[in-house]
Amino acid sequence: MSIVTLDKLTKFYERGQVPAADAVSLEVRHGEFMVLLGPSGCGKTTTLRMIAGLEPISSGTLSIDGRVVNNVPAKDRDIAMVFQSYALYPHMSVADNLAFGLKRRSVERAEIARRVAAVADTLGLAGLLDRKPHALSGGQRQRVALGRAIVRDPKVFLFDEPLSNLDASLRVSTRGEIGKLHRRLGATMIYVTHDQVEAMTLGQRICIMNGGRIVQVGAPLEVYKRPANTFVASFLGNPPMNLLPARVRKANGPLLVELGQHSLELAAPRYPALTAGSEVTLGIRPENIATAANAAQGGRFASIEAEIVQIEALGAESIVSARIPGVASELLARLGPDPDAALGERRALLLDRHAIHLFDAAGVRLARHDAVA
Amino acid sequence: MAAAKRAALLLVLCLYTAFAAGPFVWAAMLSLRTTTEIHRNHFAPPNPAHWDKFAEAWFTSNYGVYFTNSTQVVVSAVVILTLVGSMAAHCLARYRFRLNRLIYFVLFSTIIFPPQITIISLFQILVQYGLYNSKLGLTLVYVAIQLPLTIYILESFFARIPSDLFDAARIDGYSDWEIFWRVSLPIALPAVATTVILNFILLWNEFLYAVVLITEEANRTLPLGIQRFIGDTQEDVGMIATGLMIAIIPVVVIYAFFSERLIQGMTAGAVK
Repeated sequence: MSIVTLDKLTKFYERGQVPAADAVSLEVRHGEFMVLLGPSGCGKTTTLRMIAGLEPISSGTLSIDGRVVNNVPAKDRDIAMVFQSYALYPHMSVADNLAFGLKRRSVERAEIARRVAAVADTLGLAGLLDRKPHALSGGQRQRVALGRAIVRDPKVFLFDEPLSNLDASLRVSTRGEIGKLHRRLGATMIYVTHDQVEAMTLGQRICIMNGGRIVQVGAPLEVYKRPANTFVASFLGNPPMNLLPARVRKANGPLLVELGQHSLELAAPRYPALTAGSEVTLGIRPENIATAANAAQGGRFASIEAEIVQIEALGAESIVSARIPGVASELLARLGPDPDAALGERRALLLDRHAIHLFDAAGVRLARHDAVA
Repeated sequence: MAAAKRAALLLVLCLYTAFAAGPFVWAAMLSLRTTTEIHRNHFAPPNPAHWDKFAEAWFTSNYGVYFTNSTQVVVSAVVILTLVGSMAAHCLARYRFRLNRLIYFVLFSTIIFPPQITIISLFQILVQYGLYNSKLGLTLVYVAIQLPLTIYILESFFARIPSDLFDAARIDGYSDWEIFWRVSLPIALPAVATTVILNFILLWNEFLYAVVLITEEANRTLPLGIQRFIGDTQEDVGMIATGLMIAIIPVVVIYAFFSERLIQGMTAGAVK
């Protein structure tokens, strides 16, 4: 069993300053791949370092398997960590790097050799065991760093942005390897990243952080589809969710929302918190916008007039920017490779009513009482 | 064109070698000649070569004692400097604690004092503690005068070691003490070798502190021994040159032994 429980974990680097991690509460389940996701300075690495025992905890409790480990040194927490910089000992060979942690734990020499060989075989490092880190490529170094964690067979694996020093293609393949590793080992893994693609593809659950606090925890698609607030909505997705200022015109019966000069009728859900005249933010993801040509179900969509101001053809798809009269921010739509739109043209864009989110003035997503969300 | 470039480069290298090695070769030639021969012609080759002068210098002119004294004092001082200096540098570079930078500044600021300012106080302190005219006293003074520079050189190197390495070692189960010996020090070896060579050469040739703090014949170091052959009215140039060669040999050996590390230290950029 390896359950990591964070209960109001807080970290102040300097007294009186803003906390780097602010009352972070989270339970990572046994065998779970949990991703801590957020922008730079959101407190995700600080939280990970507190779990690792590399940063003292200012307040709150941290337990692993039900045992409070706040004051347990890093070496006695039975965790392994993969660092962004790989942190390979430059004066040691690959074999010595892999064996370094085991030597300290008084594992027998024959057992160390067996484990190092097994890990080297698994990660394709068998021919590199005598090399020093400086003689390895970035990808090979990353695999040694992974191997150093695996060879210890720890309760919990911690990853601190392990792919950010790799080039794009290597990042994709190593991401796949980490995913496979998790499925094979079934170990509890906590992974810090600012890359939403890594989070979406690797995580069983994602914990999104901002300003030292947890904003939302959930399965990747759940978080993507039901963002808790405008921060999550704009942080996840590329391009991010369109967030447009709007006003509620009619709250009773089918909800009518004013967007610039348009009046949109939403998909008849009830928003108990809303009254006529409420200022809201309307959110819709670019892929939930269509042109007349590729909108199959007419009744599902609300039509708005907009001027096409930019078309970015990316090959497999096109990102179209449009300006809605009376709305300051532009609307981004993800359309097919050959969009039915021309620059400067004024045309109808169709918004999927079921995919429209409303956020209150504070940016919090409004609960809707309907089956489709 | 390439051949002309190569020839020009070779010429420059030859001239530089002559410039750098010339005084050394000249001193080596002088060391094999008697004072009378030298006065007759300063630059003549040693013909015949008086190899027996080395035995004479070592046994009858007391160079053996001076050499042993220098070795004892300088090796002890360099060992202490290397150990204490690297530990201090590791602490100052690695740990965040109150007054860290102040301590570093105070240590380093002592470099600005010329020896003439501190030498009288050091003399008094050594007399007070019964260390005047002793090899132990001179060793401690050598440690004190070279420690700031040693820490300065090593601290800048230790500070470049990524802190992730220390964190990784902590997670691997190593204590701070073990991390110093098994991670920091081996990585900093090029810088440590630089300070070993620097301190060895500086202290091996050190004269001012030695001449003030040592007067007994039995405790004299090599530079003082060589000075004995410079009289008020005449100098035994031949014997001085032989003494110089005896003094130079350990420096050359130390340099040859550590030079590869020294170059690594000077060119070290990435420790990743």
